[in-house]
Parts: sequence; structure tokens; C-alpha cells
Amino acid sequence: MKLITANRLSDGRVIYVGADDGAVDAMLQAASFDEDQADAALGRAAARPDVFVNPYLVEVRGQTPSGRDRLKETIRATGPTVGHSLDAR
Amino acid sequence: MYRYDEFDSALVQDRIAEFRDQVARRVSGALTEDQFKPLRLMNGVYLQLHAYMLRVAVPYGVMRSAQMRKLAHIARTYDKGYGHFTTRTNIQFNWPALTDIPTILEDLAMVEMHAIQTSGNCIRNVTTDVFAGAADDEIEDPRPWCEILRQWSTIHPEFSFLPRKFKIAVIASETDRAAIRTHDVGLQIVQGADGQTAFRVFVGGGQGRLPHIAKEIASAVPGREILAYLTAILRAYNLLGRRDNIHKARIKILVEAIGIEAFREEVERHHAELRLEDLILPTDELERIRASFAPPPFETLTRHSGAFDRAVLAEPEFARWTRNNVRRHKVAGYASAIISLKPVDGVPGDITAAQMEAVANLAERFGFDEVRAAYEQNLVLPHVRLDELPTIWRALDAAGLATANADLATDIIACPGLDYCSLANARSIPVAQALSRRLADLDHQERIGPVRINMSGCINACGHHHVGHIGILGVDRKGEEFYQITVGGSPDEKAALGEIVGRSLSADETPLAIERALNRYLDIRTDGERFIDTVRRVGASPFREAIYAPLDA
Repeated sequence: MKLITANRLSDGRVIYVGADDGAVDAMLQAASFDEDQADAALGRAAARPDVFVNPYLVEVRGQTPSGRDRLKETIRATGPTVGHSLDAR
Repeated sequence: MYRYDEFDSALVQDRIAEFRDQVARRVSGALTEDQFKPLRLMNGVYLQLHAYMLRVAVPYGVMRSAQMRKLAHIARTYDKGYGHFTTRTNIQFNWPALTDIPTILEDLAMVEMHAIQTSGNCIRNVTTDVFAGAADDEIEDPRPWCEILRQWSTIHPEFSFLPRKFKIAVIASETDRAAIRTHDVGLQIVQGADGQTAFRVFVGGGQGRLPHIAKEIASAVPGREILAYLTAILRAYNLLGRRDNIHKARIKILVEAIGIEAFREEVERHHAELRLEDLILPTDELERIRASFAPPPFETLTRHSGAFDRAVLAEPEFARWTRNNVRRHKVAGYASAIISLKPVDGVPGDITAAQMEAVANLAERFGFDEVRAAYEQNLVLPHVRLDELPTIWRALDAAGLATANADLATDIIACPGLDYCSLANARSIPVAQALSRRLADLDHQERIGPVRINMSGCINACGHHHVGHIGILGVDRKGEEFYQITVGGSPDEKAALGEIVGRSLSADETPLAIERALNRYLDIRTDGERFIDTVRRVGASPFREAIYAPLDA
């Protein structure tokens, strides 16, 4: 399965395509698409550049990133693993 | 310190107004991301993993307390309460909203700061010796020349669309504290035959995927001709540099491809024309800019300070800090103090808003209102009285800024890595932290002595791993983080690229491997030999053996 992720135009934060093609903040709320639906859904996100900057597909198993970029996508989903931003959450 | 004239102020204000309009058009949808990206990059705005990132220029690393306080205000108001000093002596904010950035730029302009030329294929922030104006071995203060280069290069139309980014560093002593041979152009101030300022010029250095140490192209370009000579270099590069392959577009590739002799001929051909044009530096303008960097009003003091000597005897931790973080000054009774941004388990280069304010207060009260950013991702108070070092140290200690590890093993240079950067293949910070915890004992670090450990999360080498005495490069192997170790790199006047010692190691194995390499050094060094001296004497093999023997057993 695949999720669609992007950065939000206004503040650059990580967002996902959720139910009804809306933008959601949490990976757990992201809609999953099978291979047949994923490209069309990506196209719909790309058609909304006022919200989704650089949308792309993320391979997942369940709601967990599973492809080659799984670590990067996990860090995108949960934030830096270290540092001052942990205190600021 | 240089202060903006009306041209500087107008230029920065015009750019903010332009960028505010561009952001508004992006947010309204009038500009696509593809259209907007080159515009935001011209204003230091990246889009990273989690958010936009704003890189603010700190020209040649020099700041006033008001500027540091403004950075603290920005960190607190628009970010998450901290900033990150980089190996280009700039500061990055990791969390600003795009819609806030025009206002942030206005705030910066109030203290004569901006984000112009901190990204994109232009001449980037010029860097220099962090001890400029304080070091006792400099021929002259290199900062006026840095400022001249800043004014010459800022929004210069001929250099706004170079094949790739272009980095210049300037020093004024034989000892290279600015890593000039790792730059596209490195300038070393020397004395010309006429007794005036001249420049020894190196070209074609750079790190990244294809690292090169710069080659000498000229031994003594007269100071008044330096802009003509640099324009000749840039013109040759602009005309001949590759634009078809981003990985082969830096000047280092051009110099390597055609050879330094052929490149020198190209440059001299352009220079012969340019030196006759109006690029000769007017003497009165040079003197005007030099006057901005006149030494502060130093008092006449003796070389020794009773207050300092008593504190060294009374407080062992102060004594340790002075041993490791305080550097000799050209004026009797003064010193330069390194403020380490490398606490044990910290993020190299990170500083909180409260810490920025603490540093600003110290600079204002004790340091002629001056603070410097070092490319090693530390700060420096360049001119402080020995008498006042105990008070400064106590204030730094209270702010969590008195780590006594400058130039020691835990003074690790590290890029943000995969925790923040969209280019990274692996995390840098957790490995640097694990290593700093492992080597935290300062007695042990002092036994090891000076060693430069550099860590990059990808081959772009923002952490300068190629020239670390020990370099660590994060690589991706089928979605897992691994770390490749190099030994024997050096960023100084004996610049060298490190040698890869073997297969890459896991994040858990890496700190232990580095520790074994350092222990091997302790076993085999001769009296007075620093880590890098030992590597130069014996080569990388003993360290390779120390790193891999237990793993291969």
C-alpha cells in the first residue's frame, strides 16, 4: 500500500493526504492507496499546489513506512530523533 | 566593525520587499513551487524534511551583541527556541513558516543582517580566520578584504548564475584556521615585493562527492588587483565550467579537467584585460573599509593577570577551560575565548535563544561588543581581558556554554544529517552524541590532545568529513544507516583528504571503532606528537587494524 505525503505550503510541515483527499498532519490519519489508486490520488494532490508542496508516494505496510526510504519517512512522520526540538514539542 | 551605508540598507530593504511579494504570490498560487524555488533559494530559504529552513548570513563570522540578541528573538518568536551554527559560519533556523519569513528578514535588516547568497549558484558567504584581528601571527586583519569581497560579490549580475555555488575563504597567516584549501578559491594574505598587501591564491578546492585540495594559481596578486584577478577566475569558470551535470559543475572539476597550468593561462588572459578596467581598488575606499575594522580601544596591560592566575590555581575546572578554550592574543593582557557549542550529548552547533542572549551580554560587557562564529561550529569572544576571564567563564558555565573541549575529540563538526536534511542518507547527530558520551571524560580527552573529528550525513560533506583527522560519512545501505571512516584528513596549511580505512560500520559500532583508533594513537605516538602527526608518520594502517581487528576476529 501507499500513502501520499508532501510539505504544507504555508509552513513546510509534513502532511499527508487523508480521507476525502484532505490534508492531515499525522501519518496514522493518512489514507492508504493500493497500486491502482495511488497514481490518480497523487495527481489530485499535485493539482492542489496551494496545500501540497512536492507530493510523492510512500510505501507502507499497515501505516508504517516499509520502502527503502523507511527511516527518512519515519523521521519525517515523527520529527527529529534528537535535539532541541524534542523539548519544544 | 563594518556598518551598513545607505547602499547596503537600500539593497537589503529592496530585496525584502521583492521577496515579500514573491511569497505572497506563491501563497496565492500565482507562482508554482518550480517557479518559486530558485527565488526562495536566493533568499536563503530551503524546504527540508520537516519545515522550511532559513539560513542567515553571518558575513565572515562577525557579529555584534545586538545581532546575537535579534537571532535569539527570531529563535524564540518564529522558531522552536534555538538556532544552528554551520560550517560556513552562518546560522540556520529549522522551523520558520514561509509566511513569517519576510517579517523575519525585516527583523534581521534592523540589525544589518540578511539571508542573501546563503544558497544558490552564487558566491556564498566569505569566511575567514575566527581569530582575525586578534591572532598574533597575522600579517594584517583579513576582515576588511572579506568585506570588500562581500560588497563586490553581492548580487553581482555576472556571478548570479554560476555553474554551481562558489565559496571563498581568506586568511592572513601561515597557519590556516579557515580551511582555505577546501574552498573554490582560498586567499592567503602575504606581503608583496613592494611591502604592500598581496594575495597567494589557491583555486579548485572543494569537498562533496569529488573532493579536491585547492592548487596554487598565483603567489602574490597585488591587493589592489585582487578584484580584477578574482573576476578573471570567475569569468573563466563561468565560461568553461560544466552546466550539464550538477556533480561536475564546481570549479574543482574544471581545474582538474584542464589542469592548473591551462586554467592559469585562461585566468591570466582575462586578468590582463580586467586589470586595465575600473576593478582596481581605490586606495581611499580600501582605507575607508579598513577604518571600520580598526582595533578596539585596548588598554595597556601587562602580560600577566593576578586575577587570572589566582583563579587558575583556585578552580581546576576554570584552569581546564583556559588550557583548552583560551587562545593567545596579539595584545598583552588580552585573550580570545572559544565558546564551545559541543556539550556532551549535545547537537554540534546548536544554541538556544537564552544562550545567545548570554553570549550577547558577555560580548557587550567584556568583549568590545564582538562575537565570532567559527567554522568549527563554535563561537569566539575575540578580545577579552585575562582579568575578566574568570567572570566570563562563570557566566558561560551558568549558561551551559563552558564545555572545555575546544579542538579536542568531542569538539565534533557535524552536519544536521537525516534528522533535518532532505539530502542526507543517514543521521549525523546521534552518532556524534554517542561518540561524545563515549569520550566525555575531559582528562582522557586532554591526554589524547587535539584531534578533529568530522561527521557528514551524506556525500555532500557539509560536515567536512574528508578533511577530518578522523572523518565519518553516513551512507545508506538498503535502507539502513552505515558509517564509513576516513583517517588522515586535514583542513589546515597541510591540507589533505582522509583515506577510507575499510567497510562501513553500523551506528553502534562506529563510536567504539573511533575510540579504538584514538587508543591506538595513544599507544604508538611519540613525545609531543598530535594525532594528525602520528597519522602522517605511520599512515592509516595501524588505525585500520585497530578499527577492524576486533570486528573481524
